[in-house]
Amino acid sequence: MTLRAGWLRNLVILLALWELLGRLHLVASGALPAPSVILLKLWADRADYPPHVLATLEASILGFLVGNAIAIAAGVLFVLSPVALRLARGVNIAIFALPPIAISPVLVLTLSGMTPRVVLAALGCYFTTMTATVLGLTQADARSLDVVRAYGGGRWSMMRLVQLRSALPSMLGGLRIAAPNAVLGAILAEFGGGGRFGLGTYLLGSLGRADPPRLWGIGLTATLIAGLAYAAFAILGNHIAGASRAVTIPAAAPSLPGRHSRLASILLALAAIALPLVLWWLLLKGLGVPEMIARTPAGIIDYLFLADSAGSAQSRLLAALAETLPITLAGLLAGLAFAFMLALLVDVAPALGRSLMPVALVTQTMPLVALTPLLVLLLGRGTAVTLWITISVTFFPSFVTIAQGIMMVPRPALEVPRAYGAGKLKELRLVAIPASLPYLFAALRLAVPRALLGVMIAEWLATGKGLGNLLNQSRGYLDYGMIWTVAVVAVLIAVVFHQVVIFTERRVLPRLGMTTVE
Amino acid sequence: MAGDRSISFRNVSKSFVARGERFTALDDVSMDCPPGSFTALIGPSGCGKSTLLRLALGLDQPDRGDIRIGRLAPREATASGDTGVAFQDPALLPWRNVEANIALPLDVIGKPRSAFRDRIAELIDLVGLKGFEKSLPGELSGGMRQRASIARALVTRPGILFLDEPFGALDQILRRQMNIELQRIWADSKATTLLVTHGIDEAVFLADRVVVMQSRPGRIATVIDVPFARPRPKELFTSPAFHALNDVVTTALHGA
Repeated sequence: MTLRAGWLRNLVILLALWELLGRLHLVASGALPAPSVILLKLWADRADYPPHVLATLEASILGFLVGNAIAIAAGVLFVLSPVALRLARGVNIAIFALPPIAISPVLVLTLSGMTPRVVLAALGCYFTTMTATVLGLTQADARSLDVVRAYGGGRWSMMRLVQLRSALPSMLGGLRIAAPNAVLGAILAEFGGGGRFGLGTYLLGSLGRADPPRLWGIGLTATLIAGLAYAAFAILGNHIAGASRAVTIPAAAPSLPGRHSRLASILLALAAIALPLVLWWLLLKGLGVPEMIARTPAGIIDYLFLADSAGSAQSRLLAALAETLPITLAGLLAGLAFAFMLALLVDVAPALGRSLMPVALVTQTMPLVALTPLLVLLLGRGTAVTLWITISVTFFPSFVTIAQGIMMVPRPALEVPRAYGAGKLKELRLVAIPASLPYLFAALRLAVPRALLGVMIAEWLATGKGLGNLLNQSRGYLDYGMIWTVAVVAVLIAVVFHQVVIFTERRVLPRLGMTTVE
Repeated sequence: MAGDRSISFRNVSKSFVARGERFTALDDVSMDCPPGSFTALIGPSGCGKSTLLRLALGLDQPDRGDIRIGRLAPREATASGDTGVAFQDPALLPWRNVEANIALPLDVIGKPRSAFRDRIAELIDLVGLKGFEKSLPGELSGGMRQRASIARALVTRPGILFLDEPFGALDQILRRQMNIELQRIWADSKATTLLVTHGIDEAVFLADRVVVMQSRPGRIATVIDVPFARPRPKELFTSPAFHALNDVVTTALHGA
């Protein structure tokens, strides 16, 4: 009760401050309008909204249904067959790591109508729900499973009678994060073009009008939809499963112990790498995408290395990479550093954590990147905006992951140094900081794809530099080879980054007697 | 299947790998439980008594040797519904009420619950859970949950009953009560019963014979016959003859 009252008070103070700042044009000469002005503008634009909101909702809901149906089916399959999970590892990691904006133009090229939006919304749902399903199914009580097996029950009986039901809280937790992800996916696909309606389209169309209150109105509407989607599943989850545990975004592709010989393991790993390429090729052939637009894996190698224009393509790509990669790294590290410091601060002052954690948990599920135009408004079109967008999308999930890790340090571990008279700082140095290392790695895994997404969106919409801009330009020039190349390179960078983190993690943590966290 | 309710273990060996080291849980164990008999398996931790039971249920596979339930292999026997099992952990499904939990084996072997309505009511009465049919496991005490799991073990009217320390988590007083109840239930069902236990008095009170096992590697050390007439009254727990036999088992265990 007091918590809720505190929330309300903070909200009122925040709104009052915002109103004051807006009224006095204190931020970037009017880029931050007062809430009352935004609400009035929303009212004035009320006739414009319904088609845009409906279009975004339609794509989000369809994508949510399709993506989650596939995710749950895949999760069940992976648990029934660990070989299938190993085979799909490449696909799973690619879907986890891919920056949606990078493949948005490719989807718009190869699919028609609402389909690109539905696909991107579905992709946004797949990973969290699949991981939550696998986790929930494998964490079913072993004793209950023994009872079923003791009556001759097979895999499917165990699944039907015990695992599916006991996975429900975990699955609902996954859906809770998938819901706002679907909205984000739909909006990002709208950035990629195609279609007249959608909040993303509306936002892009209004970008050039120098009308801050409208941009804020659209941004807040998108945030509200995502927030409501999250809240709806949070309430449903509490109602059905009584699951009130904090839900975080999964930071690793699931893996199950399997007994394979060395050769079989190597073959499976190779097949897992090949599978995304095979699926890509099959999809193109299956959809009958015109030769001129479609690029198979071989087509990209041809474009980048063999064709006459390969030299120019290479130099443009390398120039873009030279702009994108440093800022991605800088934003990633800055976001992580802020998150780490704030998490430690929360450990020192737990009251701060109690009030920050709910905000951070909700914020990490918001379509922050879809709000990029607002940041452009506030920060202009320089490098600063790229950096801040990247920090803002990496900070919240990292903070939640690290702070929860520190909170999980067992109390007795903290009390031993305290019993010898250690102060708060010494306690941090001896216990909390080392204990948070596995969570720092988990946060890094989570933040890598987001950082790349943030940078590319900023480049696309605002700064006109790097990979994001190259993608946007190529769209304008109908340079299909480059559109495909950027998409593939962006996904590859994210995957390689992700694998480097995992590789380092597996070397470092065991040496310190620690285990990886999911 | 009635009339062929024996359990036989022939030269059964089983080893496990834990932390890179292989240890032998069972080494060439042979044992027969005749139809309708009550056998208690007792031994120090790690002697493989629970492993023996898991092999008989088909939950694990032996490295060597043969296990038969009647003429059937373990997986065939369990799928036929002629075996019942209760573990130390009642392992009730938290989302099913008492009735539905007792009916779980029916769902696994694919028998309609409706045909067993009377049986379930009778069992609930037998284990003293009348009035709690619709309660969820979370609303029951530990002893009540354990009794529900015993009822679950009996729902298919099994000819063979496997009990893996079913009362291990209960306090001494409740445990004795449950022992007396179990004897009554067993006498009614005439099921061939294999009980794994840590409790010497429990084994002596319930069993026709006590099989004492030794560890590292797991082997049968000795078999002690229990001559007391049935039904055994609760006064047996305090009789000198009972204590004398307890001491025999204790000595055998220490020698093991």
